[in-house]
Amino acid sequence: MIKIKKTELNKFIDFLMKDYDVYSPADVGKKAAFKKINSAFEIRHDLTNTHLSPKDVFFPQSEVIFKYSEDGLNVPNRDEKPIAVWGMRNCDTSSLMMLNKVFGEAHQMPDKEMYKDPYWKMKYDNCLIFNQACNEPLSTCFCNWFDGSPFAKKGSDVFVVDTGDHYILEGISDKGKTFLTNYKKGEGTTKDDEEKIAELKKTAESYMPDVVKIKPLYDKMNKIWDEPIWEEISAKCINCGACTFVCPTCHCFDVSDEGKGKKGKRIRLWDSCMFQIFTREASGHNPRGLSTQRVRQRIMHKYNYFMDNYEQHLCTGCGRCVQVCPVNLDIREVIKQILDYKSIKNEDN
Amino acid sequence: MCNCDNTYIPIPMKVEKILIENPDRSLRTYDLSFVNEEDREKFTYMPGQFCEFSILGKGESPFGIASSPTEEGLKFTVSRTGSVTNEIHYLEEGDIVGIRGPMGNWYPLEKLVGKDVVIVGGGFAFTTLRSMIVYMLENRDDYGKITVIYGARHPDLFIFKEELKEWDKRDDIILHLTVDKPVKGWNKLCGFVPTITKDVKPDPTSWCIVCGPPIMIKFTLPVLLEIGFAHNKIYTSLERRMKCGIGKCGRCGIGSKYVCIDGPVFSYEELKTIPDAF
Repeated sequence: MIKIKKTELNKFIDFLMKDYDVYSPADVGKKAAFKKINSAFEIRHDLTNTHLSPKDVFFPQSEVIFKYSEDGLNVPNRDEKPIAVWGMRNCDTSSLMMLNKVFGEAHQMPDKEMYKDPYWKMKYDNCLIFNQACNEPLSTCFCNWFDGSPFAKKGSDVFVVDTGDHYILEGISDKGKTFLTNYKKGEGTTKDDEEKIAELKKTAESYMPDVVKIKPLYDKMNKIWDEPIWEEISAKCINCGACTFVCPTCHCFDVSDEGKGKKGKRIRLWDSCMFQIFTREASGHNPRGLSTQRVRQRIMHKYNYFMDNYEQHLCTGCGRCVQVCPVNLDIREVIKQILDYKSIKNEDN
Repeated sequence: MCNCDNTYIPIPMKVEKILIENPDRSLRTYDLSFVNEEDREKFTYMPGQFCEFSILGKGESPFGIASSPTEEGLKFTVSRTGSVTNEIHYLEEGDIVGIRGPMGNWYPLEKLVGKDVVIVGGGFAFTTLRSMIVYMLENRDDYGKITVIYGARHPDLFIFKEELKEWDKRDDIILHLTVDKPVKGWNKLCGFVPTITKDVKPDPTSWCIVCGPPIMIKFTLPVLLEIGFAHNKIYTSLERRMKCGIGKCGRCGIGSKYVCIDGPVFSYEELKTIPDAF
């Protein structure tokens, strides 16, 4: 564990930039998102959660799969430095671990290399994650429903605590520990620092909502997927898809070609299961033509389907969808609504 | 780039032969050959699997493989429906296209060895069923009685008409061809596939493979259940809009399954508990 003065953060970031492309919360238009920075002065420190999640760093909103021309296909390679992300929060580090199961590990098909995603792997595999503790969780935060907490270290290479005048840095993974050892300008930490961290942790945790036990959600959903509750839940959804774009775990994408004549590129772009066209086939047939079916798909994918495939929920409780929804469709209320729902089937509920 | 295979990159294939299947020219069958020898060697598949057929600049769409692994090259039948299929219809013999695959699982041919098999198909979804029939006829001694029920809206809309004629002459495969409405000159069956299935009343101890438009599948399954087929002996192949084909892009999800990697072939046993499966 080392500590660095906040006034010397720029030196630390400069040191980091020698070996890494550094991303951090920064201004993107009027919003804040994770962006490649050129100096520590671009970092935004005033936010608990960025408006857009850091999934964009590893799974960009649009990404070239290949370019084509008369000379053949040209697959982009990443020859820049590996990626380091400063200022990530625990909800986001958890979400990257989930996405890595889908893109990086091909968890469903462990033996088959063909199911790994090379575009994800070339960015994620050598990355260095600085996970910063949340001293002031937001009113929309509910990571504690999903085994998260404001001071959780899961998914960090380096765990960072802001103690006021200093950042305390703790190496978690081997990669993180090695990096801190190589940085010679840090100060040692004292017992006072540890006490300060414990105090901040206690305060932060006091901000969190009461834990809702979501374990029964999985079985409940299996039982009620064909019941009218989904019409109630989806009634006010306007299928705008904002929740899916800000969500750190949503990863549906479209593949589309752009080009003229013999020259062009194939790109992949974020897409959303909220859109009617997402599943509409060329014949006009649409297996999820109704808003209710699409809302059910999203909620079931988060709290049931992903469990089947990866034994965890596809939600980290970051609360971005709660902040951004134009009709106040609050996922926390949906979870409670499902848990409280009495099945219309004559079984024990 | 990591050392893993990049499944997003199509392999080049050459259009060897194009067959226009019907008078309105909406259905065409493409015979493709591998441009590179190493691609040919690597490409092993089974009846029921599919590929992403790629036209650079237009995009890609999934199609079931209509050829059998016992044949050379690959065969696809494409109905002109959207922008990619439109472009496929503009192809000429000698053109180069991109193929990704084979993807997905296949018909349970291992389980069918020694068993009687009933095949129920509709329209131009008959592609992977052709693959399966050719495969079984090539390995004829491995299978019991083969019964085929195949329906189309109009006699013109059957695909593989020449082969259907040949199969009709054989005594080791029983063919029931039907069209929706009576048509002058059509002397075979008339009626929707579910109704004809009911009339044919195949032996419920056999295994049944159903593939066709969603509406046909939806109304044929209850008939098969009524006849007494076991839930785990009915298989169907599903179709969904797809992009990646490797279980990531999300659009072909049905319940916790993805049609592209867990399917496209599913047993009724698996499907009956899945929301919006058909």
